[in-house]
Amino acid sequence: MEDQREIVRTHDVRKTYYMGSEEVHALSGISTTIFAGEYLSIMGPSGSGKSTFFNMVGGLDKPTSGEVYIDEVDISQLDIYELAWLRCRKIGYIFQTFNLIPVMNAIENVSLPMIFAGTSTDESRDKAANLLTRVGLGDRLTHRPIEMSGGQQQRVAIARSMANDPAIILADEPTGNLDLKTGQEIIALLTEMKEERGVTIITATHDHKMLAASDRVIWFTDGKVHRIEHRADLDIQVGTIGGME
Amino acid sequence: MHKMKRIFNQDEDRRQKPIPLSKTFEMCMRNLKNRRGRYVLIFISISVVVAFFVTTLSYQRLVNELRTTEDIQTIAVLQRAGALLADAESDKQQRDQMIWLLMLSGALCFVGVTNTMYMSVTERYQEIGTLKCLGALDGFVVQLYIIESFFIGLVGSAIGCIVGYLLTIVQAGLILEFGILTISSLFYSFIYGVPPALFGGTILTVMAAIYPTMAAARMKPVDAMRVEI
Repeated sequence: MEDQREIVRTHDVRKTYYMGSEEVHALSGISTTIFAGEYLSIMGPSGSGKSTFFNMVGGLDKPTSGEVYIDEVDISQLDIYELAWLRCRKIGYIFQTFNLIPVMNAIENVSLPMIFAGTSTDESRDKAANLLTRVGLGDRLTHRPIEMSGGQQQRVAIARSMANDPAIILADEPTGNLDLKTGQEIIALLTEMKEERGVTIITATHDHKMLAASDRVIWFTDGKVHRIEHRADLDIQVGTIGGME
Repeated sequence: MHKMKRIFNQDEDRRQKPIPLSKTFEMCMRNLKNRRGRYVLIFISISVVVAFFVTTLSYQRLVNELRTTEDIQTIAVLQRAGALLADAESDKQQRDQMIWLLMLSGALCFVGVTNTMYMSVTERYQEIGTLKCLGALDGFVVQLYIIESFFIGLVGSAIGCIVGYLLTIVQAGLILEFGILTISSLFYSFIYGVPPALFGGTILTVMAAIYPTMAAARMKPVDAMRVEI
C-alpha cells in the first residue's frame, strides 16, 4: 500500500435487474479504486449492492454500464477463456458457506485450482500440503469437509484460495457462518496472508469484527458509496485495535 | 515490503487451457465412488430395461437356433412347447409387440435417467459454480457429466446383461428343457442379445444425460456466491 498501485478500478458501474417490469438498480454509479496489497472491507446492509459489486470485481458478473478494470484491463473485454484464466490464477475466492468439494479431502480440495492451472499432480499435492500446514491443518490433510468443523473448513478454503498465488482474494462474508472466536481467527489468518504474500484482500461483510483488520472500509447504501473510511479514522472510532495488526 | 505482482504480464498466455482428460476421469471416478448410493435408482432402472431387452432378443434367437436342429429329442421338446412351427404371421405379430414394449420401456428409462441426472445437477449447483470460480471451463463440466453417465450406463447395462442372460437360460430351461440347450445355441443367443443391449443401454444413458449436462455447463459461477439457491 506504500506505493499505492491501483489493482482494481471501477468507473461509474451500474447494474440494473428487471423483476418483471420493475427496474431494480442494484448499483447506481460506483467509481472507486482499490490499491494493491490493501485489506478492504465492503460494508453495508443486505440489499445495498455490496454483493453485486463484489461479483463485478471478481469477474463473476458484468455491469449493465460502466467499466471494471483489473490491473488496467477492462474485464468486460475478456472472453470466457481469459475470464477462467483470471479466476483460476489471479483471484482466490472465499465463500461464506466454504464451498469445499464434499467428495474430496483437504489436500485434494486445495490441489484443485492448481490442477486447473495445469500443475502436475505431485507438485500440486506438495504445495497443497504446505499451504494446509501453513493454515494450521497439517494434521488434517486427508480429512473430508464433513469431518471438519466450520473454522477448519474455512481454513481449507483459505489455503485453496492461495493455491495459485493470486493477486486478489475475494472473501464474501467469510465469517458469516462462524462463531465469534473462530471468526476472529479466520480474520487474523487472512491478515497474516496479506502481510506474508502481499495479496489484496477484498471482503464483503456486515461483521463489525472485520473492521479492525481493514486498511479501508467502503460503506454501501442503496447501490451507492456512502462513505470511505481509512484505518486512521477507524482507530478513533473503535479505539483499541492496535493489537490486531 | 513485498513487490507487487502484476496480474497481466505481456509475455504470458492469458487463456485458460482445458485440463487433461485423465484428470477429469479421475474426478469422475471419485464422484461415482462417493455418491454411489445416489445412483442406485438409475442402476436399477437401467438394469431392468436392459435385462428385459436381453431376454427378449436372446430367447428368440435361442429358439430359432434350436429349430434348425435335426436331433429328434429337441424337435419333440419344441413341438410340445408349441415353438416348432410357428407361422410367419404370428411370429411377426409377436415381434412387433415386443418392439413396442421395448421402445416403451426404453422411453421410460430415458425419462428416469434424465430426471435423476437433472437432480444430481441441481444438487451440485453450488459445487459446479465453485469449480467455475476455481477456473473450470464449460467443457470440463460437460466432460465430467458425460463420463459419469457413460459409466453409470455401462455398469447398469452390464448388470442388466448378466441378469437378463441368466433369465434367458432359466426361461428356456423351464419352457423347454435344460437338456436340449446346445453350446452353439447358447453362444449365438448371447452374441445376438448381449452386445446390442450393452451398447444400447450405455448410449441411452449418455443421451439422457445431455440435457442436464448442458444446464450444468451453462450455469454462471456467480451462483456459487449465493447462499440460497
